[in-house]
Amino acid sequence: MTAELIIQAARVWLWIGAGVALLFLAFGMALVDEDADGAYAFRPLLVPGILLLWPLVLWRWFRLASGTDRWATRYTPPRAIHAALAVGLALAVVAFLLTGAMIKQRWPAEIVPQQISPPAAEASQ
Amino acid sequence: MSVKYTPVQWNKVKYWYDALLVAGTALFLVVFLSLPPEALGHTRPVDPSITNARAFGAAAFVMLSFILMIGPLARLDTRFLPLLYNRRHFGVLTCLVALTHAYFILNWYFAFSPTDKWVAVLSSNTSYGQALGFPFEAFGIFALLCLLVLATTSHDFWLKFLGAPLWKGLHMLIYPAYAAVVGHVALGALQSQAAPGLAWIVAALGLTVVGLHLAAALHARLRPDPQVHAVPDAGWRDVCDVTDLREGFAQIAQLPDGKRVAVFLHEGQISAISNACAHQNGPLGEGRIVHCLVTCPWHGFQYDVRTGRSPAPFTEKIPTYNLRLRGSRIEVDPKANPPGTPVPPIPLPQGAQT
Repeated sequence: MTAELIIQAARVWLWIGAGVALLFLAFGMALVDEDADGAYAFRPLLVPGILLLWPLVLWRWFRLASGTDRWATRYTPPRAIHAALAVGLALAVVAFLLTGAMIKQRWPAEIVPQQISPPAAEASQ
Repeated sequence: MSVKYTPVQWNKVKYWYDALLVAGTALFLVVFLSLPPEALGHTRPVDPSITNARAFGAAAFVMLSFILMIGPLARLDTRFLPLLYNRRHFGVLTCLVALTHAYFILNWYFAFSPTDKWVAVLSSNTSYGQALGFPFEAFGIFALLCLLVLATTSHDFWLKFLGAPLWKGLHMLIYPAYAAVVGHVALGALQSQAAPGLAWIVAALGLTVVGLHLAAALHARLRPDPQVHAVPDAGWRDVCDVTDLREGFAQIAQLPDGKRVAVFLHEGQISAISNACAHQNGPLGEGRIVHCLVTCPWHGFQYDVRTGRSPAPFTEKIPTYNLRLRGSRIEVDPKANPPGTPVPPIPLPQGAQT
């Protein structure tokens, strides 16, 4: 039931994304990026990204079209977070490798498989 | 650099880079598919769909590992910078290989039942409360979604539309994606492999990635860019001495707001620009001036250090900074000028030696 709901939600998400992609690529993008004006061949390449990230597209579209985007934020690379990401990645990778090694099931390679039989009560029926 | 967007901005270097990528990936797949069953821990040949799934899955893991090695290697040693130049194409190819892996899995393990295969992949194992038998598919789905986001936002349009910091933040999904891939492999494929060699290869790649990133983080911590210092005149900050400058190169300094300024000496005159390239916020101060233009070491974007503008017909701009001299000391106004604002360069003082 949960899996079906997730799949259904994903379908709805993608359909909304398709609508946003149509509007943005046809009318919006040339107004917020002068390099896109008159450039059409690359636009289909953007469709998958808009399908996945349409709320982000709508937000950025609004910011750029309304002139509320601050230029200074474009020149602030997120460098400081790298150390935290490196430590987090190290912990996660080591934890997964150790967990995988510890839970691995081992048995003698030369074991001979046995033909199992049904229980006696079932066999007599 | 762009004037009008095109689907793919190829050039001679990128053609070679991509040709090597495709050839390397094809070679890996051919070798993997040619391995005898016992080399992969199988006692007898397995169905082609399973072998294909494992070949593409292994290729995706190896490719993702190499992609994650490029960044720290380039930070630790600039000779690796050429690998960074076209890393996005490497990422897109990796996503396609991972999608092919998912295709074979979905159309083999989840295809032959009345249950929809998309529903089946989510519902066939829900033992999330235990390590043994954990539904490792969930890690694979998460990683694949991350790779899809990265690949589908790799065009330069997205960089400009989102802004480099947000784009880079989004693309840091590569870190949880890689952790998830290691989990996917360690709790999945390696649990059914009798060949210990594969487990060692996975561990070696994963630990190399981790080790390089920790080494790069340590390198940055041990060699931070110098901070600017307060001077008596309110607002201005001391950067360095004119004797610290070298013709064609920059001194990088960290401003009170965390941003970095790059102070260049060019033809005996001093100029200051943002250290962050407009394209991917690459470190412009680590580049050098070629034909009057500073060239970003990451992707070759160029700017005039006196104006913060790319040469026509390109339109990229970066902030500039006002400078002044106090004796032989260079001082900067930490308030950046809007991108592309021309600032007259300051001539070196008479008799100054650099």
